[in-house]
Amino acid sequence: MSDIVEKTLTALPGLFLQNQPGGGPAAAKASFSSRLGSLVRGITALTSKHEEEKLIQQELSSLKATVSAPATTLKMMKECMVRLIYCEMLGYDASFGYIHAIKLAQQGNLLEKRVGYLAVSLFLHESHELLLLLVNTVVKDLQSTNLVEVCMALTVVSQIFPREMIPAVLPLIEDKLQHSKEIIRRKAVLALYKFHLIAPNQVQHIHIKFRKALCDRDVGVMAASLHIYLRMIKENSSGYKDLTGSFVTILKQVVGGKLPVDFNYHILLQVLQKYILLLYLTMILTISAIFIFLSLAILFECVHTVYSIYPKSELLEKAAKCIGKFVLSPKINLKYLGLKALTYVIQQDPTLALQHQMTIIECLDHPDPIIKRETLELLYRITNAQNVTVIVQKMLEYLHQSKEEYVIVNLVGKIADVLVLNTVDTYAPDNAWFIQTMNAVFSVGGDVMHPDIPNNFLRLLAEGFDDETEDQQLRLYAVQSYLTLLDMENVFYPQRFLQVMSWVLGEYSYLLDKETPAEVIAKLYKLLMNDSVSSETKTWLIAAVTKLTPQAHSSDTVERLIHEFTISLDTCMRQHAFELKHLHENVELMKSLLPVDRSCEDLAVDASLSFLDGFVAEGLSQGAAPYKPHHQRQEEKLSQEKGNFSWICVKLESYFITQVLSLVPISFPDPHPALTLHPLKGPSICCFPLCVHVFSSCSSHFYVRACNIWFSVPALIC
Amino acid sequence: MIKFFLMVNKQGQTRLSKYYEHVDINKRTLLETEVIKSCLSRSNEQCSFIEYKDFKLIYRQYAALFIVVGVNDTENEMAIYEFIHNFVEVLDEYFSRVSELDVSFFNTVFHGTWQAHSSPYQIGSCSVTQAGVQRCDHGSLHPGSPGLK
Repeated sequence: MSDIVEKTLTALPGLFLQNQPGGGPAAAKASFSSRLGSLVRGITALTSKHEEEKLIQQELSSLKATVSAPATTLKMMKECMVRLIYCEMLGYDASFGYIHAIKLAQQGNLLEKRVGYLAVSLFLHESHELLLLLVNTVVKDLQSTNLVEVCMALTVVSQIFPREMIPAVLPLIEDKLQHSKEIIRRKAVLALYKFHLIAPNQVQHIHIKFRKALCDRDVGVMAASLHIYLRMIKENSSGYKDLTGSFVTILKQVVGGKLPVDFNYHILLQVLQKYILLLYLTMILTISAIFIFLSLAILFECVHTVYSIYPKSELLEKAAKCIGKFVLSPKINLKYLGLKALTYVIQQDPTLALQHQMTIIECLDHPDPIIKRETLELLYRITNAQNVTVIVQKMLEYLHQSKEEYVIVNLVGKIADVLVLNTVDTYAPDNAWFIQTMNAVFSVGGDVMHPDIPNNFLRLLAEGFDDETEDQQLRLYAVQSYLTLLDMENVFYPQRFLQVMSWVLGEYSYLLDKETPAEVIAKLYKLLMNDSVSSETKTWLIAAVTKLTPQAHSSDTVERLIHEFTISLDTCMRQHAFELKHLHENVELMKSLLPVDRSCEDLAVDASLSFLDGFVAEGLSQGAAPYKPHHQRQEEKLSQEKGNFSWICVKLESYFITQVLSLVPISFPDPHPALTLHPLKGPSICCFPLCVHVFSSCSSHFYVRACNIWFSVPALIC
Repeated sequence: MIKFFLMVNKQGQTRLSKYYEHVDINKRTLLETEVIKSCLSRSNEQCSFIEYKDFKLIYRQYAALFIVVGVNDTENEMAIYEFIHNFVEVLDEYFSRVSELDVSFFNTVFHGTWQAHSSPYQIGSCSVTQAGVQRCDHGSLHPGSPGLK
């Protein structure tokens, strides 16, 4: 087998070199007579999207004809496949070619197979139905003696493979783990990694083989197995503690230069990061040695690792110096990395932020929005009561500038987090600033924010802080600011903001001394009549009006409101309106029902309605019938009806109405007939005892009523 | 985890694309236009890592061609940045002065090289930052160029 392998492997590069263009793109273009070449040239020469579409559609239709023609050789098919890949890349659907790609992979020679597999990996995706057809080809290739085919099969398996067919190839791939060629071992490990990603339970039993791969003499195989370990350790770090020794040995080898510098061991470091509390002397020393490495990415990971593992002061110093260098670097990518590192580190070591204060402040006003955002992220982590105003100010500025929804959601969440810390407290220094900032946040991000944010805010207002007068002031300020906002003309607020406003106004308008509740009700009424307000918000508004009504002494706005909404098409609104109407007739009752500032008190609900016991007892003593539960009533009714009719139930298996009608009972003293035919819609029906002529062609079902239950019977038009 | 890999030119024409997470064909063009727009709006003094929707883009510009890789949050951006450069170095070595149109003409070749270069990446995570040219001979497959027969 080995000389076949050698021959294939040596032949390929030669084949490739033969066809390689001599010098530069000009020569390539000149010697290139392929159809793909002309297609690409054609596309680049066009100026408009419309023309490009026309050309591609033309190309696709000719391709469709070629691939379905029986006379097409595999060589031609390969060429077509390349063009199909190109067309799909431009965004045009070429699904007619998928099956031919699979066929090409199955039947072609080495080069054609390669293109076939490539096409399959580009065209299909995990849940595509044609993927199952690939399995056979893959199995065949895995068992082939040609190493190149095995490699190709393994590559495709690690890219896309249907989950259900994993058991079919698993034993073959496990075999390859012991293959003599390292590239095959490496690809086998990667294929198993893919299986672990899509179906972890199926590869449970071969974890022991992964360990062997980790200790493999070839670096590539070992590096590939690290991926699997990273994933497994992320899920369950304590299970693999015994492997720390091997990981550290590998790290040592990297540092010692024994392993080629080709490989980035930041995966390794990520693995080590998971062992947060491990005190392992050798590991620590090794990591300190890695700081001499020049690769920046590895350096970044080292810093991250240092802060994740058990803290050791000299390492922390080195890491801090490193971060300093990053942050102060003129190169912008490094600055970004430095800021990112600071974000990780900042909670453990706030002094570091102090050292680099000036740079951080500069970065806040940096022209690059990404750097600004990263700095905001950093500042968000170090927010406290002293610096909250400045930080939130900067965040709001950024918020006003940005247009992307994701950014807005993110920032709004952060600001709300800082200001309304899980309903416990807030960093805000004073009421006015707090309310104003929350207003700004609500008006910008009201519609996209998480629903918890307005809820937490309202709860914060309701529960308040310890100081009662402070609370009252806060609420008063809120109410006043909302009234001012509502006065402004031609401004549309997000629905959540309106909801928040209506709740606050409903609850706390009593604190106002200048405006009367009637005026507040008038403002709320204006909002209610506004079309841009959603029905959900309207329910909030009417609830607020209901709360305010007992405080306002006879307001005709309320009368108008009741009149308007008792005839509303929205049932929810109608319900509210009716409740308001009935309550409105008894002001004293309303006052006791909707007390002022009692939102935090729990409602005691008596589900058994025990307070009505007296009323029931009185009724019973006067001869009223006792209550019969529902099922008892049903039973009684059924037994009553059964007594009336002397037949067996209507058979519903058959669709023939004649059969149904033949079961018409003989006698029924009951006033209403038991079996009535009511077509859904239709001109007329001529009913005879034994058959029915249907004149209705509009409906396909008749509704048959029997035993007081309606059955739908499909009509048979004869 | 890598979500996609694109080679797009300044006019927004895609030269090479590989998606590791399935995206519908009609959504791809839209994604690519938006991605190239956000890359084009950056200047040289700005960093190469963009936040786009809920994932990150890492891009590098080589003359008129942008190589863009979309990753999710857990990835080390610098590693990917260096990796892109490695890939271009490999291509340069192999093709001696690769140009933008070469990417289209030698479509499958580029795919093959990317596949070989990024075989751990197929599953979407990085493990190479300083691959030398020797990796190309390290058992990778070199498919024949299309139609050169």
